[in-house]
Order: sequence, then C-alpha cells, then structure tokens
Amino acid sequence: MSDTPSEAPVKSILPKWVRGPQDFVGGLAMMGVALFALWASSDLQGMHGFSFGAGTAPRMFAVLLLLLGGAVALMGILKDGPHIAAYSWRGPLFVSAAIVFFALAIRPLGLVVSAFAGFLIAAMGSHETKWIEAIIVGACLTLGCALLFPYVLGLPMPMFPRFLIQ
Amino acid sequence: MELFANLAHGFAVAFSPINLLMCLIGALVGTLVGVLPGIGTIATVAMLLPITFGLPPVGALIMLAGIYYGAQYGGSTTSILVNIPGEATSVVTALDGHQMAKQGRAGPALAIAAIGSFFAGCVATVLIAVLGAPLTKLALAFGPAEYFSLMVLGLIFAVVLAKGSVLKAIAMIVFGLLLSMVGSDIETGASRMAFNIPELADGLGFATVAMGVFGFAEIIRNLDHGAEMDRNLVQQKITGLMPTRKDLADSTPAILRGTVLGSILGILPGGGAVIASFAAYTLEKKLAKDPKRFGRGAIEGVAAPESANNAAAQTSFIPLLTLGIPPNAVMALMVGAMTIHGIVPGPQVMQKQPDLVWGMIASMWIGNLMLIIINLPLVGIWVRLLRVPYRLMFPSIVVFCAIGIYSVNNAPVDVVLAGVFGLVGYWLIKHDFEPAPLLLGMVLGPLMEENLRRALLISRGDWSVFVSRPLSAVLLAIAAGLLVLAVLPTLRAKRDEVFVESEG
Repeated sequence: MSDTPSEAPVKSILPKWVRGPQDFVGGLAMMGVALFALWASSDLQGMHGFSFGAGTAPRMFAVLLLLLGGAVALMGILKDGPHIAAYSWRGPLFVSAAIVFFALAIRPLGLVVSAFAGFLIAAMGSHETKWIEAIIVGACLTLGCALLFPYVLGLPMPMFPRFLIQ
Repeated sequence: MELFANLAHGFAVAFSPINLLMCLIGALVGTLVGVLPGIGTIATVAMLLPITFGLPPVGALIMLAGIYYGAQYGGSTTSILVNIPGEATSVVTALDGHQMAKQGRAGPALAIAAIGSFFAGCVATVLIAVLGAPLTKLALAFGPAEYFSLMVLGLIFAVVLAKGSVLKAIAMIVFGLLLSMVGSDIETGASRMAFNIPELADGLGFATVAMGVFGFAEIIRNLDHGAEMDRNLVQQKITGLMPTRKDLADSTPAILRGTVLGSILGILPGGGAVIASFAAYTLEKKLAKDPKRFGRGAIEGVAAPESANNAAAQTSFIPLLTLGIPPNAVMALMVGAMTIHGIVPGPQVMQKQPDLVWGMIASMWIGNLMLIIINLPLVGIWVRLLRVPYRLMFPSIVVFCAIGIYSVNNAPVDVVLAGVFGLVGYWLIKHDFEPAPLLLGMVLGPLMEENLRRALLISRGDWSVFVSRPLSAVLLAIAAGLLVLAVLPTLRAKRDEVFVESEG
C-alpha cells in the first residue's frame, strides 16, 4: 500500500498558503467538533446566579476547544508541516464492517455466529489473509470466547440464533 | 509504624488464595497479550478491562494491575527478541537488548530486564506505601478550588512530559473533557448532548471510548502497513539464562540509577514510564566511560531503562491512589474500572477501602515476584507466540474487543460507538493528535466540573478564588510556568532530544 495516490488530490484542494496541511485540517476539524458541541448544548440552561447550569461547563469546554482548534489551524498556516498522511480504505472498511455486523447480529444470531462471521469479515481487511487458516483460527477463537465469556466470566449473552432455540 | 501495619494488612489481603490467583492470571494474561506485537500496554489493558467486570472490586483491580505490569514485561521481551517494541516504554530496550540477542545473549538480556524490573518494583512498592498516607492527608485538606487547580496542573504536566505538540495535546484534553459532558448532568439531571439516544443517557462508556481509540484504531493503523510486519526474530535457541558475574557488576549501578529516575518520573503525571526509560538510557550513555558500546549490546542499556520503566509504572499509582488523579492513560483506565465497581477515586478511598488500596500495593510486589519466577522459564512459549502472524491476530482482536464491549452493558450500540471511536482514533493518529490525553480529559471531566462548580458556589461566583487561595495559586503558577517552559524553543529541543534517542 503506497502513500502516493491519496496525497495528490488533497494537495490540490488546499490553497498554497497552507504550509502545514496536517495541522490545518486537524485544527479545522477540532473547530468543527467544538461548533457541533456548542450547537448540541445550546438548549441547556446556563448560569443562574452563582451556580452553574447544565450547559455552562459543556459550552465552556466547547469554546476552549474552538480556540485551541483555531490555534492549531493557525499553526498550519504559519509553519511548514507534514502533508496529510495517506489513508487506506481496506482496513478501516472491513474492520468497521465486522464491528457493525457483530453489533447487529449478537442479539438475534447469538455469540457463535456473530463472532465467527465477524472474524471472517475483519479478516478481509488484509489482502494477505489465507482463508483455510482464517476459518480454522476463527472457529477456535469463537469456541474460546463462547467458553470464556458466558461460563468462566459469568457474563450472560445469547449463544445461538434465536430461531434455532425456539 | 503505621506503615508496617498497613503493608501487613495489604499482604494479608493479597495473600488470600483468590487474590493470589487473580494476580497470577493478570500477570500471565498481561504478558501473553503484551508479547503480541502491535498491541501496546494501553490497548492490552483496555482490551482486557471487560473480563474483570464480573469480579469483586479488589480482585478486579489486582488483576488489572497484574495485566498492566505483565504487559510491560511482555513488551520488553518482544523488543529484545524481535526488535519490535511492544510499546513505547520498551523502545529503548530494543536498542541494546536486540543487539545482545543477536550476539546470542538473549538469555542474560531477558534475565537482567526481569531482575532490574523486580528490584525497581520492590523499591516502588515501598515508596507507594511510604508516600501514600501523608499525600492522602494533604489531599483531604484540599478544598474544591485547590482540587481543581491540582487537576489542571496534572493535565499540564501530562502534556508537557508527553511526546509531540503541546498545543495539540491540550486540544485533545479539551476534546476529552467535552466527551465526558455527554449524558445526564449530575447536579441538575438534565440530559446533555445525548440526542435522545437512550444508550447515551448515562454518558459515553469509558471502556467503549478506550477500546475504540486504542484497540480498534491501533488495528486499523497497523493494517496500513500491510499485515505482515517485518520481523527479524532471533532464531537462535536461547541458552543460558543466567547473566555472568561481569554482567551483574555492570548492570547493578545502572539498575539503581534507573530505579531512582523512574520512581521520580513516575509520580509526575504524563508519559511517566515512557520518558523514564528514555531518560534512563540517555543518562547511562552520558555516564558511560565508553558511550560507543551503547547500541551494540551494552547490558546497561537494557538494565537501566527496564528498571526505570517498571519503577515509573508502579509509582504512577501514587497520584491515582492518594489524590484520585490518574497521571497517564493506563491509570485513567484504572479509574474507569474503579468507577464501574462503584468506587469513586480520590483521597477518601485510602481511608474507606484500605483492603483495596493496600491489597493492591502488596499484590504489585507479589506480581513482580511472580513475573520473575514464571516468565523466565516461559520464554520459549512467548517466543512461539511471537510467530503468530498479524493477519490472524487482528481479526481475533477485533472480535474479542467487540464481545468485550458488548458484555459490559449488553448493549449493541456500545459496540457501534466503539467502532466509531476507532475511526475517530485512526483519524487522530493520522493527524498526529495523541489519543492518550483525550482519555485523561474524559476521566477528569466530571471531577473538574464538579469542583469548579463548588469552588465558584462557595466564592459566590468570584473567579479570583483560584488565585487568592495560596495553595491553589501555587499549583496554577507551576502549571503556567511549565507551559511557558514547554513552549520555549531551547527546552523543547532538549525534550525532543530525549525522545529522538531511539532513532540514533
């Protein structure tokens, strides 16, 4: 996975006066988070008298983050800094897919199915995966977790698909 | 003599069969996961956090502590044998440790690492016991204004001593503070930034965020480099564990210096253990008669940083146990664990739950002893574990983490949230934002808000209370001074120099 392809488009989007794109974009994103938090906490009560309302602290921290994000972005303009690193899509995509699948499947399908399938989905995140090996290891891991969590640790969770049990 | 009574009480707790077992399991599992390359200490502790939730509080925390130093020990084993440091604290160990291993002296390198760690652990345990009671008394005299200022100082320290941009680290702390605001307000009960999602009503789960930012994000980032990491595992058979008499003579002063340095740096908030190992290595190199030996298999280069990082790992419990302030991300995870068991961290814990505090302190010493006895014979197994390819390891970690998160609240939403934080963490890493301060901010957020609220209520809305109360003013002044020093170019250069050592 080389880092050349995704660097080029990013460079062309940002104007020339941005000398440290990594910091500039990072700072802007922090400002975005802060603005979002300000909006999300705008319905909360502020100071009344000497005491804090529910919204006082969140807004305080949000304003602080807004300023800090601004400072980081400013550094990105004033100082030469690294370019935005290349993202790869394969790892994040399949790892996220495995996580989401697991979350959706655990209740209706139970631990055994969701863990095993989750393992295989995550395994797609690398192009070096060898399938026979992955299936064996996935099965062992599923078995191990199926023994560890409900029995050894006493954490109750559904084991098999609901429709099989009923 | 209170000290001995306390320690005796602690050993009585720690020597109960169940706690001994917890300590043993923790140390073993921690080493096992710590040995796996690509999983750092924080990720190890975060990953294994859920499996301790079903245990009684004392057992759970003893086990977590065991996992922590087990993982550290596992990390040094990896760095000596494979030259892939399992975590930041053992980066410098790899410099000379791996060279020793190449020269066929892996055994003595591992043994010296273990002996140094054990010695440092003993000293640190005593230090915790000695400092525990007086610091707690001091903390109990703190009012809300002082407590708030102390937390500010702690956070600033954490930022200054860590690697990377100070500004960005502070931004991360504030991001963490903001995240901690999600959920219902303790005082008014109002729902904050929860968007009517029932799972968010109690706030973002601590384990969820930690697992996302450290577990999932690490995996995604590692996949960037391709699953097959370059591994030059030392293939020779490890023979002769025992160091020679000359090795011992060479490393004794290094171990002593490393321990002292580590103990001091560990108490300070921040990357205690990391900076301790770097600083210890730099010190040895400066003091050595022939600095050229370093990087070519000098045993002092293994002994000093290993002692230092273990001493620091242990003394970093001091601010947590006495003041309730976590000095680093792992301690923040401990706070998370305590909170889940219904223990509010702070100076009162030492008085209300002596079993917990002293039991944990005593168990650290026992755990260190276990590590040295168990691990040296087990080196062969650890070496085999190192051969587990990453392509099989990463899906296992993903699934294991997903099950772990689900088991905390039986909530599928938590799993998705952890996934989201995994992507957030990946983005943060890509933009050179350190995720550790985020965790600190998130843990300290509620405490900071509460103390800020109370301080201002007592002072009738007068903000000058933070500078008019002498103790609070001193704490804030130190924080401001540190911040100024950190931004000064000359000191920055010095600080970076310590971290650059690993590349030399």
